[in-house]
This record gives sequence, structure tokens and C-alpha cells, in this order.
Amino acid sequence: MDDVFSGYHPAVNFLFFIGAIVLGMFLAHPLFLAVSMTSSVLYYLLLSGKGGLKFLRSMVLMALLLSLLNPLFNTRGGTVLFSYWKGRPFTLEALLYGIATGGVFFTIMLWFACYNKIMTGDKFLYLFGRRAPALSLLFSMVLRLVPNFKKKAAVIATARKCVGRAPDCGSSRQRLERGVEVLSVLTSWALEGAVETADSMKSRGYGSGMRSRFSIYRFRKMDRIVAAVMVLGLFFVLGAVFLGRAAITYTPAVIMPKLDWITVAGLAGYGVFLFLPSFLHIWEDVTWRILRSRI
Amino acid sequence: MAHFEIKDLTFSYPEAGKNALEGVSLAIRQGEYITVCGKSGSGKTTLMRHLKTVLTPHGCRTGEVLFEGRPLGEVSQREQSAKIGYVMQNPDNQIVTDKVWHELAFGLESLGTDQRTMRLRVAEMASYFGIQTWFHKNVTELSGGQKQLLNLASIMAMQPTVLILDEPTSQLDPIAAADFLNTVRKINLELGTTVILSEHRLEEVFPAADRVVVVEGGRIIAVEPPRAIGERLRELKSDMLVSLPSPVQIYYGTGSFLECPLTVREGRNWLSREMADRPLTTVSLPEEEAYREPSKPALELKEVWFRYEKELPDVLKGVSLKVEAASLHGIVGGNGTGKSTMLKSVCGVCKPYRGKVFLEGKRIEKYKAGELFENCLAMLPQDPQSLFVKKTVRADLEEMLSGRGLKKEEREEKIARLAEECAVTELLDAHPYDLSGGEQQRAALAKVLLCDPGILLLDEPTKGIDSFFKEKLARILKRLNRRGVTILMVSHDVEFCARYADAVSMFFDGGVITTNTPRRFFSQNSFYTTAANRMSRHLFPDAVTNEDVIALCRQNSADEDAIALRRQDANDEKMSALHGQNKGDI
Repeated sequence: MDDVFSGYHPAVNFLFFIGAIVLGMFLAHPLFLAVSMTSSVLYYLLLSGKGGLKFLRSMVLMALLLSLLNPLFNTRGGTVLFSYWKGRPFTLEALLYGIATGGVFFTIMLWFACYNKIMTGDKFLYLFGRRAPALSLLFSMVLRLVPNFKKKAAVIATARKCVGRAPDCGSSRQRLERGVEVLSVLTSWALEGAVETADSMKSRGYGSGMRSRFSIYRFRKMDRIVAAVMVLGLFFVLGAVFLGRAAITYTPAVIMPKLDWITVAGLAGYGVFLFLPSFLHIWEDVTWRILRSRI
Repeated sequence: MAHFEIKDLTFSYPEAGKNALEGVSLAIRQGEYITVCGKSGSGKTTLMRHLKTVLTPHGCRTGEVLFEGRPLGEVSQREQSAKIGYVMQNPDNQIVTDKVWHELAFGLESLGTDQRTMRLRVAEMASYFGIQTWFHKNVTELSGGQKQLLNLASIMAMQPTVLILDEPTSQLDPIAAADFLNTVRKINLELGTTVILSEHRLEEVFPAADRVVVVEGGRIIAVEPPRAIGERLRELKSDMLVSLPSPVQIYYGTGSFLECPLTVREGRNWLSREMADRPLTTVSLPEEEAYREPSKPALELKEVWFRYEKELPDVLKGVSLKVEAASLHGIVGGNGTGKSTMLKSVCGVCKPYRGKVFLEGKRIEKYKAGELFENCLAMLPQDPQSLFVKKTVRADLEEMLSGRGLKKEEREEKIARLAEECAVTELLDAHPYDLSGGEQQRAALAKVLLCDPGILLLDEPTKGIDSFFKEKLARILKRLNRRGVTILMVSHDVEFCARYADAVSMFFDGGVITTNTPRRFFSQNSFYTTAANRMSRHLFPDAVTNEDVIALCRQNSADEDAIALRRQDANDEKMSALHGQNKGDI
């Protein structure tokens, strides 16, 4: 992963995602929503490049579907656009509400996709495993075992296939039998391996006394600066939220607070907070290019 | 003070009839490099496990082990964890965590080392072992060689004073193995860490070792410096001689009086000196028939192309190969060139997107699903363990015959015959996982042979097997050949191919480059050839196996007088060397 933000301290990463996701879930105000949507799309594309377009397209479709479906279930709202099926109304308010819901869904999904790319298992573990070293070790071992098992299962299946006992052909009963066989071999293989792993752990002093934890993360000056900017941004958003500037009701009528400088400050804070990772990403790209062109 | 001292250690596993170790005594000095060798099942592992309390097996024990002058049992587990490093065979199973950096620190974490020290030690180890480039990777992404290096590095991070390695390279390919053993040697030379290493492939470890310990039947039968071990084994008439490196074997085969060579370089010089005053009358072996492409091959690949996924590069790039019926065809070549993939394409696990595969002159697609693996084709995978699915070897063999409509007696008879043929009759009631590597290989072979294949595919059949099992395996394969079975074998084992194959092909960059008879094939190569050929090619250009070189040496032997003279010279030399030493002492 060559993203700049993922190189920051896990706590900073986590602060960002918890902020982006929680706020994204509750702020259905169109302006705030727009900020969240654009920033999430931008960051997601920066992270995954062209490969992300496919996911993005499917999410757009889902969001559209949600927006259009909402008025079918929700008939509240003053402005009836048209009625259908024995006079059931299709209202503008419900449609707008649907669009907002779709938008919230869309931006949350994208933030989660980014979260998956940035907050790897070991970072999460680093943040929350401090209290439970045994549990965090277990987690780390499981993370290793799953791909290991997959690989072994494939090896066994191939071996079985080469003596004419392929688990994927024959009658359905045969297939079941052979599948179970692969599973049973996998189990005994795993147990056999586990004995050796246990030996290796004991041999390296596991359980001989107090354990400490190693991590490769360090809280640097840049982490402090970025965290400070984020907190500042959050301060403005939360200010606007608590002063009621981000509230909105869609049904039965759209009621939005008036736009004033507090809303603008909140929006600006929100923007600073959400665009920060993308900004860092692009900024590094640009400085890198400038540096290189000077050589 | 000895670093490790084993005093009259006798040990037996519970409910085992005989002792696994018997009266073993050995003192190991600080900083020594000890190589332990012996057949599989001779008690090497049992002996080495006694050097660390947490790994010591349960059973009945007398005698004692002293570590730095104290009984091992009195040394705390913490101290042992740090000071005694133990590397096991399987690179995969020893790894505990999911990230390389985490694995490096695992031992330090267990010892409760503080963050600052850990950071430094991990950094140090990563640099020393060249791990920086894959420091952040997941362990699943690593190759076998990298995994084993990681295991070693993780142990070295605890700064042990002694390193015990139990066949650490048996699962690795020759290049990764050499790399690993070089690292071990470097540790021994640069850090003064005591090394106790057991190994089948002695070529690389022999020149590095200070002393070689030979274990047989739970006893230490010889402890000598590498140059003297052959002499001792010959006195004992031990068959361990055949597992020594090629130069040593050739040296003892010719009955030379000069100093015993250990490496190819020394072997070359030794041979030159040995042959110096003899008239070289015969320099080549009797002419062999030239290799001819079989006209009716049992197995044929025609321009086979394959890739695993559309986006990935081709693995097989137009492989063409003909394998003669009832022959043993070996394929050698580097790692990741696609050798195993080629085997998979033959047995239909990988479907080529272009090209054809013919079995007995018939295209592979024309065979029905069940038909292909019944009486026609079978493959022995690289890891024989992956074939076993039952609790005993017998049940495993029976499983292959189920659903074929055979009567019970017929089945039993067939199993008994094949078990006999593969020499696993005594192992029939054992659990497949309890067998040693070589035994597993043979049991798996018996299982595969129950398909009655006309064509047998072998993927690295000699991996992790000692030289005795190799010979046994070769005899079985040759017998199959005589019965008309065609064998195609992919192997890293150049020596094995040179000795037993009928034809050898070089595989490179997704294709077969050349095919020839082993002697012609290996004598043409300068790097990818046997040790025997490399040390003798300046005199005997087409000698490929140890036996070839020994035979040629004998044919060129000088008359009796010259030999007597030479013996005299050698004695004089020894005497004067002794004399010089004595003078030095005074």
C-alpha cells in the first residue's frame, strides 16, 4: 500500500474512520452529505485506482435503487408527484428522503471499503490488543491459519484428483464423501502442524513468564499535526451539529435550517476533516513530482 | 568447560521395545560446528530434542545433559528459551504469527523484552538476514526458503549461544538450502554461536563442520573431523559411507593415500595429484548409444501453453516432450520454471489453452473422467502426506480399491503384493503420519500404484529423503520400468537423475530446452551437473556418477610398484607433518 495516510499511526487512522463513518451515518443534510460523498469517492479512487470503478458503479446502482424504492414504502409528504395503484401517492419528500438515505448508504459503504484497505488486522490489534495479549496473539494466529488452510485444502484436493479421487466429480454421493475426506485430512494435517507450532512457541519461551508486545508503529510529529487538524475539523462540525445547523427533516415537509456562517464553518470543518487523507495523498504525489523534475 | 555435555544418555519411548538412545556421550565445545548424520529413524531427532527441556520427549531416561556445566533441568525455561535456539524441519509449522515483523519479535515478546530493545534487535536481525525487503509482508506470501530464514532470524533475535537445527533444509530446494546453510555458517563464524545441525545432504555442511557425529541405532558410532570420518566408517564397515559427499565417496572408492578432499575444488586438485604420474590410457567410458527421440512415445506433449489466470504471464510456453515407454525420464531445472505445472497439465489438473497432450497415442481429452486415472495415469504429489486420508496405511491402500468391484481376497492379495513391492509391509498397521519421510514416500507410492498406472508422474520424489531410501526408491522405480510402466519424474536431485534416469531433460522458462541420455546431458553442462562430474571433468569429461569416476581411476591405476611408492611418500609426509607439529609444541 503506497498510500501516505496508511503510513500514519493506527490511532490517527482509526480516529479518521470512526469520525467519517459515524458522522456520515447521522448527517443527512444535503450539503454535509455532498461533502462526505465527494470526499469518500475521491479517497476510494485514490486508494484503488481504476480497479475501484466496478465497485463504485455497483454502489451507485444500489444507492439509486434505495432512493427510488423509499417512496414506494413511505407515502408521507405534502407534495404528491403522482399516484399509482389505487391512488397510492408517490411524494417528492419521500423521494428526497430516499435520495438522502441512498447517499448515506453510498458514502458509508465507501468509507468502509477504505477502512478495509487502511486498517489492517495488525493495526486494529495494536490499538485494542493491549489489554489482552493472549487474545491478540490468538487473533494474529487465526489470521495466519485461514489462508494456510485454504492453500492446504487445494494441495490435498489436487493430490486426490491425481489418483482419480477428485472431490469435484462423480455422483453427488461420491462428491460428498470425497469432500468429507479432504476435510478430515485437513483436520489431521492441521493437528499435526499444531503440535509442531506449539513446540516452536514453547521453544521460543512462550508461557515462560510476562509477555511484552512489539509494534512497529511510532507516534511521530506528523501524526500529532494531522491529528490536531482532524480534531479541529471535528470541533467545527460538532459545533454546527449541536447548534442544530446540520439537522434536517424530510417528511412530511422538508425543513432545513437557514444557511449562516455557523453552517459554513461546520461544512468547512467537515471538508477539512474528510479531505485530509486525499489531500495528503495528492500532496505527496505533487511534491514528489516537483522534486523529481528538479533532478 | 564444554558448552553442552551429554553423559551416558539412554532413553526409550513409552511402550517401545528398544531404546531410542543408548549410552550416548558427547561433549560439545563453545563455538563448535557439529554435524549429526545418520539414517532416518536412527535417533538423531530424539538426541537433539534432549538438548532443550521443553522439547524433550516423554519416556524413560537415564544419564544427564549438562548445559554450561549445569544440569539442563536446572536451567530456567526463560534462560533456555533465550540461549538455546532450536530450528525444526517444517518451515511452515514453526511460524506462529501472520506478519514477518511480528514473527521476528515473537521470541522477544515471550521473554518480556522492552520495546526499545526489541526494536533494535528486530532491526538488527532484519538487516543481518536481508529481510528488510519483505519485512512488512504476510508470512503466507513467502517462499519456503524465506520462511525457514525467518524462523532462524526470529531465534537469532533472542541472541542464543547455541543453535540446534534438525534437518532444516529437507523441505527446501537446493538453492534455498545452500543459502540457508551459508547463513548458518556465517552465524557460526561471525558470532561464534555453537551449531549442532543434522542433515541428509552433506555436500554443503561437510566443509563447514568441525566434527561429524554419526548416529546409528540410537548410538553414536563415530565422532571425527570430516576428513577422518570416512576412514572411521570404513573401519566400522558402516553403510553410512554412501551418504557422504561425492568427493569423499570417490576418495574412499579409489583407495587413495593423499589427504581426503571435502569440496569439489579440493576433489579436483586431489584427482589431479592422484593421477599426476599415471599414464592416462582411458579417459572416457565406453561409448553410449546416442539419444533418439522415441517413435512411439507413451506420453507426448505438443506445444503446450498454459497460464493460471488470464492476466498472469504464461507458465508453460510451448512445451514439447516425448517420453519413451517403460523408461524413467527425469526433468531438471530451476525453481519456478514450471516443471510441476507441466506435470499438472499432463494429469489434467491444469488445462492447457493451446497444444495437445497424448497418452499412449490418444489425446487426453478423449479419455473419460474415470478412465484416465484407472489403469492409465497417476501422479505422486510433492508432499506425499497429502495423499493419506485414513488411520492406517492398510486402510489407506484399501480405499484406493473400493468401488472397483473386487472381491475381498483379491483386494487383500493386491495390497499385499504392492506393499511387498514398495517395502511397506511392516508399516501397514501404522498411522501414515507416524512414518518417516522416506516411509511416507513409499507408502504413497504404493497407494498410487494401486491405480495400476501405465504412466506414473513423480513430483520431487527424493525431497527430504536420505540416501538409503533413495536407493530403495530407485530399485522400486526400476522394477516398475521393467514391468512396462513409464515414469516421468520432476526433480532437483541432479545426482539421482544422473544415476537412475534413462533420459534427462532440461526445463527452463516454460519449455523443455534439451533432452539427452544422462551421461551426455550432464557432461555437456558445466554448472547444472553432478559433483562427481564437476570435480573430474578436466580428466574424465564424460564421467557423471561417483561410480564412473572410481571406475576410470581404477582403469588408469598405475602398477603395484608405483602404488607402494606412493604409500611410502604419504607416510613420509604424515611423519614429517607430525614432526613439525611436535617441534611447534616445544
